[in-house]
Amino acid sequence: MAVTADSALELAERALAGVCSGDGAQATVTSERSLMLRFARSRATQATAIEDLTVEITVVRDGHVAGATTNRAHADGLAACGRAAERAAAAAAGGRPNGEPGPYLGLPAPAPLRAHAGHDGETAFLDPARGGAALGAAFAATAAHGAEAHGVWTAAETEVAICSTSGVAVSDLLTDAFMKVTAIAPSGRSGYAAAAAVDSKAIDGHGLAERAALKATLGGPQAEPAHLPPGEYPVVFEPLAVGELLWWLGYLSLNGLAVAEERSAFSGRLGRRVAASRINLSDSPRYPATLPRAFDLEGVPKAPLPLIQDGVARGIVHDRRSAALAGDGAESTGHALAPGGSPEGPAPTNLVLVGGGAADETELCHPIERGVYVTRLWYTNAVRPKETLLTGVTRDGTFLIEDGEATRPLADLRFSDTVLGVLERTQELSARPVLTSEGEFYGRRFATGVVCPGLRASAMRFTG
Amino acid sequence: MRIASPADDKAPLLVSAVGGDSLPDRMDALLSGLMEAAAQRCDYADARIVHSREESISTRNGHIDELDLHEAEGAGIRVRRGGGWGFVATRELTQAGLEAALARALEVAEAQPGAAPTALTHEPPARGRYDSPCERDPFEVSVEEKLEALLAADEAMRAEAAVAITSAHFQAWSEERLLASTEGALCEQRTVDCGGGIAAVAVGDGETQIRSYPSSFRGDFARAGYEHFAGLDLVRHAPRVAQEAVALLTAPACPAERTTLILDGQQLSLQVHESVGHAIELDRVLGLEASYAGTSFLSADDAGMRRYGSEHMHVSADATVPGGLGTFGWDDEGVAAHRVEIVREGILGGFLSSRESAAEIGLERSGGCMRASGFDRQPVVRMTNVNLEPGDAGSLDDLVGATDRGILMETNRSWSIDSRRLNFQFATELAWEVVGGERRRMLRNPSYAGVTPEFWAGLDAVCSRPEWRLWGVVNCGKGEPGQVMRVSHGTAPARFRDVAVGVA
Repeated sequence: MAVTADSALELAERALAGVCSGDGAQATVTSERSLMLRFARSRATQATAIEDLTVEITVVRDGHVAGATTNRAHADGLAACGRAAERAAAAAAGGRPNGEPGPYLGLPAPAPLRAHAGHDGETAFLDPARGGAALGAAFAATAAHGAEAHGVWTAAETEVAICSTSGVAVSDLLTDAFMKVTAIAPSGRSGYAAAAAVDSKAIDGHGLAERAALKATLGGPQAEPAHLPPGEYPVVFEPLAVGELLWWLGYLSLNGLAVAEERSAFSGRLGRRVAASRINLSDSPRYPATLPRAFDLEGVPKAPLPLIQDGVARGIVHDRRSAALAGDGAESTGHALAPGGSPEGPAPTNLVLVGGGAADETELCHPIERGVYVTRLWYTNAVRPKETLLTGVTRDGTFLIEDGEATRPLADLRFSDTVLGVLERTQELSARPVLTSEGEFYGRRFATGVVCPGLRASAMRFTG
Repeated sequence: MRIASPADDKAPLLVSAVGGDSLPDRMDALLSGLMEAAAQRCDYADARIVHSREESISTRNGHIDELDLHEAEGAGIRVRRGGGWGFVATRELTQAGLEAALARALEVAEAQPGAAPTALTHEPPARGRYDSPCERDPFEVSVEEKLEALLAADEAMRAEAAVAITSAHFQAWSEERLLASTEGALCEQRTVDCGGGIAAVAVGDGETQIRSYPSSFRGDFARAGYEHFAGLDLVRHAPRVAQEAVALLTAPACPAERTTLILDGQQLSLQVHESVGHAIELDRVLGLEASYAGTSFLSADDAGMRRYGSEHMHVSADATVPGGLGTFGWDDEGVAAHRVEIVREGILGGFLSSRESAAEIGLERSGGCMRASGFDRQPVVRMTNVNLEPGDAGSLDDLVGATDRGILMETNRSWSIDSRRLNFQFATELAWEVVGGERRRMLRNPSYAGVTPEFWAGLDAVCSRPEWRLWGVVNCGKGEPGQVMRVSHGTAPARFRDVAVGVA
């Protein structure tokens, strides 16, 4: 099912063969075959099928890294891309006024990879009829509740292949599938459910729509949402909301570049308590239900990495660029987001938060006399990154918890709070971590998710 | 065909293997033939061939941090059969490749649950060619010249000891687009965008502060050539940027209160973007983006009826403004660029629309806002240049001078708004206390929050035309799969009464 006549690895080898200058080079091929069906108001609205690839040639010269990309995989296209990358590296190396070498340590040597179960042949077929059937099931399920369905069904086969002058020659063939349903009732209230998996057969359009519709109509189809004044309230987060907070923690704080530059909440705090003792967070690329990957975009193998153990900060992630800056023996942990390391730094792509003792989110509500139940967060953004201070709003299923139960809908609320603050105030977790994903695919498709349970925290700051 | 090599001194970095920006030969004939075939098999089809290039160069603490060149080309074919749309993106620019893509698009359209067809507004077939103004092609400027400018600006920020990170950035894009449709459209356009900026991060005693110029998040960009980047004069502004970053470390925090708020043009452009630009997208208004971008607090029958803000609020969406990142010859449905009045004297007048969404609410013509971020994404309703028209409050100094007490906020640092575009919160890099018509103390960690119509109702002064300029926003996300679009907003500094500040 590859998108080229050659395999991605053969294409990477051909691309690399055209590079003849510099101290080292890496050719990276990322290919995508994907299908996405969008729907709104219980009708299909947009359908997008993509078959494309990107060849990225990265050249290292005097410790400087530069690169060029193309999707023209014929000989002329690869040659032009290679020469552009060489010229860019030469310009980067020559750009330093005093000619001192750049900080890049050089391309990594090959290392053994671990196999994973991240590909499903049937999913790779990208059958539009399977997606169409999921849409039809979602439309029927929401209609049964008097609501309309909005959302996406999507599946893809992607491949990453890396070939370098240091001897790396690896490829990783993956599939992913994702569906989300936002049910909107005539009252205007909405509910949400989503699922992601390696295998599109695991996506149940009817079940998702049923869950979403129940949220949109909780308390009765005409129930008006209550308004809660700003303040601090106990909170129960569904896994999707927890995943959003953890993604931000990974991006802002577990990022080795941010730590090295003293921009991270983890700067100088490794070995110290940063969260409640029941918080155990790792990056685990082969954990059950995750979207596994064998290596990062520098070809460094993925391996389990403890990040927070029993509430104590234990690790951060590095690519070779951030490891070089950190010094003191730091090495890449296999978290490069781009060949040569991303200017934004590395990030975890397989976060896993271990579950706790509550059976589910319903049980998490039980000790709360008056609080807020959150299905998902929306438009979150960092206000002060070093503090992990975020703002955002709740969406598609915010409920008032009264006397241990989610009883009636709430108008969406804005929050302003720190991720580490929420983790410090965490009292309990639900037992079963699930794969959460927002299913956002900007640029070349790169499916990731956070595996996590629901969470109860003693307080969350809502500001309006 | 000329290919740059490492031996070429001072050569442009990326010279296409297919000959500069040109699309492969005979593509217009190939697309026309494809559309003739498509017309026999579906109700409507269009096809775009896009060749795009991007160059991105950054420095960080005096090192070259990023020097990347991107090039892609391919075709996006969109069909409608019955009520279903199908879109396929392929990089196979051969007759066989395009015909296979057309067949797949039809298969995808048919596989979805059936629905009644919707109408499209009439549009005369787009024919001709458009080239955006560009005095100096940024892809023809040597990388050495760009690096010299960036490294000089980077160096000029490092005189301050507390500045831990300095960065300077240059970026340029070019796109060549060929559009054909079953209705007879056949048009070609080339656009060039360019710009950059600088930032300094100061670290001290548990505090981190950033200051940027001319805009945060990598700078300011325009639909123009290298002249726009050169005109930013990054070196001249670098010492001030570094000094302000350091001063912010010990500045008093923005107080929490309700007060008068003056926004500089850059922050106001984000305010317009989030609380006006997205809210007036007709697909959102009609509920077609509920699953991702969200909906809108507006309804289709609000046009001409609903008060959006005070009488000082005049907003247009204008795809013809020189230099705007939303300026073009035709949108990606072949609708010729034009201006749409959005708000006049505070009353909502129109929306951003497509041929399909415009027809749904009975408009005679699309707003010409269907844009796609490349060949591999289908067009969706997008902002063009959504501009707050200038007022008569004079200069920014005049406006400050006419304000007894308040806070002036500059340069966006973070943003968030709910899915109906009502409840927003922004933070900026820096603020100034205004007392008795004068700027007094610098304030750190400024933020403000509000609800869209209430906030715009508080608009009581907009600076005059000489203060008005376009600000580029190059990270506007929308659509599934996601698309990042470049848009612009024209603004002049403006004043808002009774705003909650110091909220974060």
